[in-house]
Amino acid sequence: MGSETTEMIEVHLYGKLRRYTNNLDPSRDSVIRLPAAEAETIQDIIRQIGIPREELGNNVFLNGEYSDFTRKVKAGDRLGIFPDDMQLLYKWHFNKKEE
Amino acid sequence: MSKILRVNMTDLTAKFESVPEKYNLLGGRALTSSITCDEVPPTCHPLGPSNKLTFSTGIVTGTNAPTSGRISVGAKAPLTGTIKEANSGGMAPQKLARLGIKAIIVEGQPKKPGKFWLLKVDKDGAKLLPADSFTGKGLYQTYPLLFKEFGDKVAIIGIGTAGERLMSSAGICINDPENRPARYAGRGGLGAVMGSKGLKAIILDDAGGPGVTIANKELFDIGRKKLVAALQKNDLTKPGGALNTYGTAVLINVINEAGALPTRNFREGRFEGASSISGETLNENCKTRGGAGMTGHGCSPGCIIKCSNVYPNPDGTELVSVQEYESIWAFGANCGIDSLEVTGELIHMCNDFGVDTIEAGVTIGVAMEAGLADFGDSKKTIELMNEIGQGTPLGHILGNGAAVTARTFGVVRCPTVKGQAMPAYEPRAIKGIGIIYATTTMGADHTAGYTIAPEILGVSDDIDQFKTDKAALARHFQNVTAYILDSSGHCLFIAFAILDDPSGLEGVVEECNGVLGTKWTLDDMVKLGSDIVKKERAFNTAAGFTPADDRLPEFMSYEKLPPHNVTFDVPDEELDKVHHA
Repeated sequence: MGSETTEMIEVHLYGKLRRYTNNLDPSRDSVIRLPAAEAETIQDIIRQIGIPREELGNNVFLNGEYSDFTRKVKAGDRLGIFPDDMQLLYKWHFNKKEE
Repeated sequence: MSKILRVNMTDLTAKFESVPEKYNLLGGRALTSSITCDEVPPTCHPLGPSNKLTFSTGIVTGTNAPTSGRISVGAKAPLTGTIKEANSGGMAPQKLARLGIKAIIVEGQPKKPGKFWLLKVDKDGAKLLPADSFTGKGLYQTYPLLFKEFGDKVAIIGIGTAGERLMSSAGICINDPENRPARYAGRGGLGAVMGSKGLKAIILDDAGGPGVTIANKELFDIGRKKLVAALQKNDLTKPGGALNTYGTAVLINVINEAGALPTRNFREGRFEGASSISGETLNENCKTRGGAGMTGHGCSPGCIIKCSNVYPNPDGTELVSVQEYESIWAFGANCGIDSLEVTGELIHMCNDFGVDTIEAGVTIGVAMEAGLADFGDSKKTIELMNEIGQGTPLGHILGNGAAVTARTFGVVRCPTVKGQAMPAYEPRAIKGIGIIYATTTMGADHTAGYTIAPEILGVSDDIDQFKTDKAALARHFQNVTAYILDSSGHCLFIAFAILDDPSGLEGVVEECNGVLGTKWTLDDMVKLGSDIVKKERAFNTAAGFTPADDRLPEFMSYEKLPPHNVTFDVPDEELDKVHHA
């Protein structure tokens, strides 16, 4: 009987990834809420949104923790995803916070 | 032959000296800190006659090495009471190097306080001129007057009214390529040291100067090409890369997402208004408003990264250059203000008065904590800043920085180390930067050991942002920073490219060997960095600092920072291990 938000995962998208949300204005947050039941990992969420791999950097934060794409997600989580052209990370190495 | 210019403000003389052998291979911070250690009594008053202010360019500055227009300014700092090196770009570094001057040492003090001088340096020599018609005004008025007097091809290193009034947040200003008073050796109150010497500005005219001698041009070029390639390849530093497109403010959204953006005087780690002060919004406004606005602005000639910007008003006219990450954060998230128009106006005020944006923004945050304004109150913030500009008694309190303001109003939540305001990374959320803040020789300083790069930006090896066992890493980064970055003459931001590209790092070593004719290895350079940090530590110890000063403010050990709800829990023994392993 949880409220709608606690069953959802909140995804914040930045840069060109904002186009996957209904807000392109960078001065406001571009957020999608997805049902937690339909995603097990960060990777699943990215797939659900439909972001192709080549648009992604490896700059992903799960609840503020720099994370591997394989990390598990759950209801109430906040995920932040940055694109490759806001590529703050020099190379693909996802072994920061792992499962 | 390179020489040292010694300027004595007691008897108003400016004399050239040959460079002592022990300084031959030093540049930038290595040289300013060596001279401070050799010539300044550690217990002296920072604003008294015994302190000395030293300017030195890096080893490769003045050559065509990329992103190398940097200058170090050193002294005992009034803000911290420690040794200090503040670093800046702008037009002066390369001109000073091309004049064949390794360092300018400013010493003594005019017998008559309140009188100011200009130091004019050109190929024919150096002389002191009265500065009477250039004092008491904002730098946006003063710099054009100086360029009118001396020509628009000179470079100016000057202080504003905050420096004239000996405020501890006063920085030293250098003009940018369009001759704005926009680049700063900002931290530690070195502008007040310059003011205490009665020196308003240094005017550098490098026309006909000898240039920089390169001992082994072939090796230098090999190194330069490697570094250029590394910078052009790295996603952060390349043309069209993150820094070039969004400026350093690209970090606002990232650090906010990491829960490490200090908000409302370090009460929280995430700011709900971050998006509106982000690099993305800055870039968007520069693009859509047209006119003067631009990102990808270079602060000195020959920079590949070009992370600076010119921020436009809504009508396209120029508001300010530069809206940089730390400055936007200091007046933005830290004061609860979510407008780039307001941060821009406040940065413009800092540039005009000649104060450090980080110290000023953190001071306003502390003033808000004290109830002088509400968080988010732009109008009141501007009024408080005007007090600094007008030199009122309240302005003097605020102008002396966050620690003085906190003490004046009994504020416990005072985010300073050794009296210097913390920059834009929350140490409770990023422990490694907390260790750096605590243990640098400079007070809370993000540039002394750039652990931010590997921890958050993922450059180099993976390092967990919450791990506390980081003493060795912190030491290593402080040593690397001290020589390879602060002394070579390269901008700190090449770190992103060279820390993860062995060839780029090799290139920096080869450039230095090329200029100096040395055969240093990377290890030699890290060792030189370690020697500098040791020297600086010894100065601070002699000035009365102990390991008890290498601590973060107590509130961070018992106040949990949202959203991670963590305290700073690195044990004291771990902090002490940084320099005593």
